[in-house]
Amino acid sequence: MTLSDVLFIVVAAVAAVSALGVVVSRHIVHMAVWLLFTLVGVSLVYFWLGAEFLGAAQLIVYVGGTLVLLVFGVMLTAQGPFRELRTPPVEWIIGGVTAALLLLLLAVVTWQVAQGGTTGQQPPGVAAIGLGLLGVHETVSETTLSGLPAGNVVGRTPVAYLLPFEIISVHLLVVLIGAAYLARARRPAAFRTGSDTATTPLETSSPDLTPGSVQPAVVVSAPTPALPTDSSSSEESRQPPQF
Amino acid sequence: MGEMGYYAVLLLGAWLFVCGVTCLALKRNALGVLMGVELVLNAANVNLVAAARYTPAFRLEGQIFALLVIVLAAAEAAVALAIMLHYYNTYATVDVDKAQQLRG
Amino acid sequence: MIPGWEATPGRLYVLATAIPLVVTLLLALAGMLRGWVRPLRARGGVAQTLYWVLGGDVPLRAGAYLAVAGMTLTALLSLLGLTLFLTQTATADSAGGCWAERIDWVRVGPMVAPGDALGTENVAAALPALALQVGYRIDALTAVLFAMVAVVSLCIFVFALGYMDEETQAVVEDHEAQHQYHRHTPVRRRGRFGRFYLFLSLFCFAMLHLLIADNLFQIFVSWELVGVCSFWLIGFYQERPSASQAANKAFIMNRVGDAGFLIGIAIAWSHLGTLNLDEIFRRLRGAEGGAGEIRRVQVLSTSEAGLEYVVVTGNDWPAQHVLLHPLTEQKREVFRDATESATANLHDYTVMPYWLWLVMGLGIFLGCVGKSAQWPLHTWLPDAMEGPTPVSALIHAATMVAAGVYLVGRCFPLFAPEVFLTIAYVGAITAFLAATIALVQTDIKRILAYSTCSQLGLMFLALGLGGWTAGLLHLVTHAFFKALLFLGAGSVIHACGHVQDITRLGGLYRKMPITALTMLVGVLAIAGFPFLSGWYSKERILSQVMGLGLYQPEHILLWLLPLLTTIMTSYYMFRLWLTVFTGPPRDKQLHDQVHESPAVMTVPLLVLAVLSGAGAWGWPLWEVEASWLGQVLEKAQPAMVREFAAITERGHQYHTWTGIVALACTLVGAAAAYLWFGRTPVTAEQLQVRTLVGRFLWQKWYFDEAYEAIWVRPTVRLASGIAAADKRSTTVEAGIAAHPPSPDRSEETTAEEATPPRFDWGTLDGWLNSLGDAAASGGAAVQQWQSGRLRLYVLTLALTVVVLLAMLVVLAG
Repeated sequence: MTLSDVLFIVVAAVAAVSALGVVVSRHIVHMAVWLLFTLVGVSLVYFWLGAEFLGAAQLIVYVGGTLVLLVFGVMLTAQGPFRELRTPPVEWIIGGVTAALLLLLLAVVTWQVAQGGTTGQQPPGVAAIGLGLLGVHETVSETTLSGLPAGNVVGRTPVAYLLPFEIISVHLLVVLIGAAYLARARRPAAFRTGSDTATTPLETSSPDLTPGSVQPAVVVSAPTPALPTDSSSSEESRQPPQF
Repeated sequence: MGEMGYYAVLLLGAWLFVCGVTCLALKRNALGVLMGVELVLNAANVNLVAAARYTPAFRLEGQIFALLVIVLAAAEAAVALAIMLHYYNTYATVDVDKAQQLRG
Repeated sequence: MIPGWEATPGRLYVLATAIPLVVTLLLALAGMLRGWVRPLRARGGVAQTLYWVLGGDVPLRAGAYLAVAGMTLTALLSLLGLTLFLTQTATADSAGGCWAERIDWVRVGPMVAPGDALGTENVAAALPALALQVGYRIDALTAVLFAMVAVVSLCIFVFALGYMDEETQAVVEDHEAQHQYHRHTPVRRRGRFGRFYLFLSLFCFAMLHLLIADNLFQIFVSWELVGVCSFWLIGFYQERPSASQAANKAFIMNRVGDAGFLIGIAIAWSHLGTLNLDEIFRRLRGAEGGAGEIRRVQVLSTSEAGLEYVVVTGNDWPAQHVLLHPLTEQKREVFRDATESATANLHDYTVMPYWLWLVMGLGIFLGCVGKSAQWPLHTWLPDAMEGPTPVSALIHAATMVAAGVYLVGRCFPLFAPEVFLTIAYVGAITAFLAATIALVQTDIKRILAYSTCSQLGLMFLALGLGGWTAGLLHLVTHAFFKALLFLGAGSVIHACGHVQDITRLGGLYRKMPITALTMLVGVLAIAGFPFLSGWYSKERILSQVMGLGLYQPEHILLWLLPLLTTIMTSYYMFRLWLTVFTGPPRDKQLHDQVHESPAVMTVPLLVLAVLSGAGAWGWPLWEVEASWLGQVLEKAQPAMVREFAAITERGHQYHTWTGIVALACTLVGAAAAYLWFGRTPVTAEQLQVRTLVGRFLWQKWYFDEAYEAIWVRPTVRLASGIAAADKRSTTVEAGIAAHPPSPDRSEETTAEEATPPRFDWGTLDGWLNSLGDAAASGGAAVQQWQSGRLRLYVLTLALTVVVLLAMLVVLAG
């Protein structure tokens, strides 16, 4: 067992254990923290595998971007009962059994896949990836880019990833606009307060009340089934945060 | 030994995948579901990088695909989060079990 | 007008036929538009404008004028076509000359029969496709009848402008129809002027199309169209139960006949391979459009190489087949005439069972019986008087009943001798039967209806005896004077406020002289007075009948009944005229308010009177054979009429005697009527029947009652029996209505236990219900999976992956 193996075991254990932590923890904030550790562990695995650029990208994009986004989401919604939504034990058992079976089968399948692997292959450098994304294939300057003899890569067709790159960028633009559209602040009528309340169904059911002073009893009887009944009766606290 | 290393990394990927699927299946919080998705994507990425490391045919492709997946995952997270927040704004809940109807 | 119509003048007729159809479509479109914009009329704008343009609340008169204009155009075109046809020597001189065009509409058979594959001869290559064709065929018969239908229809259209004037009001009160809920309340409805002319136009289109069609398929289509138009028009006053019943009766009676017609068409299609009339005749009777005789053969053997047969002359028993001529003209005629035995190529000549040929002819004739109201399907025609009088005129003169006679004349060469005999007997029986019933009726329109039946019977009799020209000439002249009589009756009815009973009329001559005189012309014509159109045709018919009486006196009914019919016709027509127009008024109050009809009604009467009088004239006037119309029709006479030469020649031989006898019969009837009704005033009571025979005739020989007992009631009983097996009893219905079915199972089972077990509980309904239940419960079960719960979906997905992976590992690993 070399030092490299030990390093891998440690890093993989970090990722695996924290992934399990994501699964088993109930509190949403705990889950987010466990996910953080998982992502970091995975990026370490990348580093171990020689994909330094990917590891860095993982850290920057995932840990720095996606996870922060998730944490924002957690902060915006993790209140009251949503912090810990419990799943029935029966489902845990079913899910656990399914997961175990899936893992077993995946282990068998990956064993067969792993037979085709070879060792001694050096990963491409950052420059190769960058040029590949820019449409320059690496066969010409193989030796100079990665320090390996050109004959080492046999029978490969020249590759270039400019088109996927462009597609991805357009895709990202679309996603950006879509996300902004979806998350725009549009407040449904049920949540309007102040002068807007005069038009809500709550008000029409009790015309003698002044706007803004809707009583809880009226709220319960009002025909707004979408309202959560378990939230507090105060008008202010039922209003969700705006995003 | 190298093959064993390959297998070990693939096993890690399988483990992450199973964890992600379990998250998807068992978490009632929409954010938990999102985290499950992230786990599944990471599992795929681990597999891709491992393939880039251990098979000649994927030497460059593995990493580039993984890169694309990371970017897509980020985009996916953004959209999913937007959907989730919209859902929360409309129904004042994040429980996916409550989201059972098709119309908003 | 039409490209190249001078080269193909037959297209003139296509245009003339299409005009009423276009009018129909325009009227339908206008009605539809009006219906659409009616809910929006209060809102103003385009909808309101359109609504008022289309007549508003009042029925649109312009629609009727459009229909009349269209009919005028058609009539002018038909006269132009007739003139052209008669002046074109190429077509007019030769017998069977015609203008014809046809195209394949639907090809259902192969262009190449399997003859080549058999290797016998290169015979099949030129075989025509089995195809439904669309075409027209104008010969002298079509041209004359087309002109007749168009002109008579035009007269009726114009007449109806006056007769149907109350339909132009926004609200019409129908006193003869009872309100559905409030008895003794007249039905109030909107006037239906436009609808009336729509149906009339469609009716005319159908009839004209029937006339120009050159194949049985097209004829059948218009046949049915005529039927349904008559249904709509007889039931025009649909709120009256009697009218809707009469419409149903006419329709159902016609269905009986049409079933026969369809059988005939099917046999022609399956055995002759074509529906084109010329082709059918040629296949049956050889070249030259069916001039030859039917060849009855005894088939000795058939093989792929050929057909061996013996020609059988006469009506010997073993001749079980009819030899059919080749499908195409190109085939050489290998037929050897005098030989006892011959062999023909199988693909050239085929055979058809003789009895099937008989059935084909009888089936087509059955269609004509239904359409032309012959015994035993005659009962619908008198009931059809429930329609407005112009409709009756149209049905009786121009469109509907003429179709049957026309078809018999048109399909003449495809009938077997036995069928001709059947036609003759049916015609003779109908003529007599209807005439006897007409003797005692007191409804002015019913008398005319039975006289139509009777006259049609005479036409069929003439056709059945080979008097082709006689029958069809009578069809034309009868159309003139019967339209005249009906329109005259309509004028009387209109003037008398819809009183049709002759026991309440009387002495109308001074009040409505034009109607009276024109009707007198019609009466004289139908009775067969010399030099009126009816005389020429009737003389010919009776000459044929007398020829038969001299040739085959054993068919005693065939010559005795027509003579009796002639006497009776003269009698009841004069009875009608004398009762209505002479003598003292029987209903003083009614008589006082009567006045002559407006010009829009009397002018058509005058036109028709002229036609009835002079329609069949020729020179010299006193020669029946010299009738110009008859000579025109003779040009279209099929060549196979010569099979009846024996009868016709004898008829010619004793022609003068026949004329004397016929005139004597007419005079006897007229004199009887005058003695009875003309000299002394006849009271209403005297017009009623009192004797046993009279009541028997008054009840129309109890045909309706007999049909009711034989057909209607058993059918209704059978239907209600079957319905009882299917339906829940009324009490259960009431129970279900009181307690609407609940999803609760237990309640349902108790409700079922309370009812007696139904017949179909365990059969059809049971099966179908269990099928439905199974589908519903299956859906409910599957529905559980489509819960919308995302996590369940994911779990299912994971399980699926597990299963698939396991299969992969087990099978591939």
